[in-house]
Amino acid sequence: MISIAALVLALAAMNCSLGVRSLYVRILGFIFDYATKIKNDKELSNESSDEPSTSTPNSSTSNLVERSSDDPIEMTSDTPLVSGSTKNDETKSNETNETSLETALDVQQKVSRGSSQSDIQFRLGDIMDYTRQGLEAIVDDEVTKRFSSAEEMAVWNLLTRTQQQHEYFSLRITALWFLGFCVRYFILFPFRLCLFILAILWMLCSAVFLKYFPGKNAKLRYGFYINIVLHRILSRVFSAIITYHNTEHRAKSGSICVANHTSPIDVIILSTDNSFSMIGQKHGGFFGMVQRTLSNTANHIWFERSEAKDRHMVAEKMREHIQVKDNLPILIFPEGTCINNTSVMMFKKGCFEITEAPIYPVAIKYDNRFGDAFWNSSKHDLFQYLILMMTSWAIVVDVYYLPPMTIKENENSVDFARRVKAVIAKQGGFVDLEWDGGLKRALPKEDFKQKEQRKFYEMLKTE
Amino acid sequence: MGSNASIMLQQEDLQNICQQTGFTVKQVQRLYSRFKALDKRDCGYLTREDLQCIPEVNINPLGERLIDVIMDDYGEHNKINFKQFIFLLAKFRQGKFKSLITEYNTRESKLRFLFDMYDRNHDLKIDRSELLDVLKMMVGGNIHDDQIATIADHTIGELDKDGDRSITFEEFCKTLERIDADEKMSMKFLS
Repeated sequence: MISIAALVLALAAMNCSLGVRSLYVRILGFIFDYATKIKNDKELSNESSDEPSTSTPNSSTSNLVERSSDDPIEMTSDTPLVSGSTKNDETKSNETNETSLETALDVQQKVSRGSSQSDIQFRLGDIMDYTRQGLEAIVDDEVTKRFSSAEEMAVWNLLTRTQQQHEYFSLRITALWFLGFCVRYFILFPFRLCLFILAILWMLCSAVFLKYFPGKNAKLRYGFYINIVLHRILSRVFSAIITYHNTEHRAKSGSICVANHTSPIDVIILSTDNSFSMIGQKHGGFFGMVQRTLSNTANHIWFERSEAKDRHMVAEKMREHIQVKDNLPILIFPEGTCINNTSVMMFKKGCFEITEAPIYPVAIKYDNRFGDAFWNSSKHDLFQYLILMMTSWAIVVDVYYLPPMTIKENENSVDFARRVKAVIAKQGGFVDLEWDGGLKRALPKEDFKQKEQRKFYEMLKTE
Repeated sequence: MGSNASIMLQQEDLQNICQQTGFTVKQVQRLYSRFKALDKRDCGYLTREDLQCIPEVNINPLGERLIDVIMDDYGEHNKINFKQFIFLLAKFRQGKFKSLITEYNTRESKLRFLFDMYDRNHDLKIDRSELLDVLKMMVGGNIHDDQIATIADHTIGELDKDGDRSITFEEFCKTLERIDADEKMSMKFLS
């Protein structure tokens, strides 16, 4: 065990790979295909005994990654009111009070001004559109499905946690599953746990090393490499297979790196190729200790809870950080919360207001076949989540670096944020939504309903 | 192991539902997945709050009213289970060509649902106050109350044929004759 750990450490340090993980993943792919074939055969025989006329056999297993749309309904597009296009129109900048909502005073004036008020006709059928849209939203909406694990895999990957529509089929599959279970929990997991401990040891040792090593610049000079090695070890803990694209656009010092957020592991994934300064609230307890230890190897930006509300203070700290030469690029997840990797939600404009630093967007795309990396914080807490990750098959991820972007002359930060989001969505194949990730836990503001009411009123007037 | 054991869809139930509602097996399964996804506490029924959490329903001016209709008329005690849910949705299947017409998705039942959106005291008449309620929901603060009252009176005046100052279901259907309610109130359920 120790020798293997040492080997892993050496590989991590030198950034080599024995190709073991890729081979492992390919083998897994074959096994999943086999399992799906069995399942399909069974399904076919079931269907043919029940409904001879209407059964349509699943297409063969050649499409491993093809994910059929699991929307129950087709959205009608002829409704101008609450339609998909409003997602592009509505500026949902929840943080500011600069909404375009009129005050009651303005409304009063409008009512007294308009002489066409008496021409407004209301027909009983006018409720049809809203009613139908409400029903459609109940059957399928764009937002709530982003906060739970994406469903519908064409292939079952032998994990019970993804087993929604795949029920018990045959003895062979159950046997395979059981074998998989044993391998994952009794072979892979202990090994990964050891690696994790190794990673922690590395972190502690390097902290001690840097503390007592003479020379002011030691932290900056060695911190970069120490961080990368640490994260490479951590990535092996999760059996992460990461493919980088366009590494010429790697974020440089004095810039801000922006990425879509799916899980806490995102940080580890990105840090295996580049070192970043992180930014966040100071925590207490265990996590606080982690923060302090990390601060030994790089200049991170941790701020007090009280300061967190003060956006100007935060922006100031970021500016200070950027101006110091040799400081690492800042890593930020503007969505503010974990989304399930099928879409990108609204980017909070805070970091896009810092115009001195170029923004390096990064798209992180996970392949769900071998392990779903999304952290559903209402379902699992962090500890459970990490255990789940360590007992998955592997985490396969594509990281796309994108060319740097800066704010245009007449652009405001909200539009800039939107532009960056669109670029990331395009690269990763995500659905680009304007909805706020905060809707995971909170209801929309009253403003939005009022906006819809306004729209309806306008429509009534012009009829 | 998985915690999905609580409410599995039984085979006989499935067949029953398909026969009565006209949905295909796949459609019912998809809707069942959706039901489970909305049922975050995994208790086998949905409450008002579960439906209110859907942002697109929340910002819909008629969202609250729609939830009222669903909960009061199709569920009971602020709970709606899957059977009730799917029989409700069965109303909105298209009643044309390829899709089957069952007793649920006739044109009349769609119109009846719309009527119920207004008529909350179930006296089979839409009176002035009920119309006012809906109007207020739709336009919010954009029109003065007096104006709204005028509009409501105007509408009732136009449609009320028997002079009882309220709109009956027949009068309601008559005014929607020329609109293809079946088309407008249908949802295309993908299978």
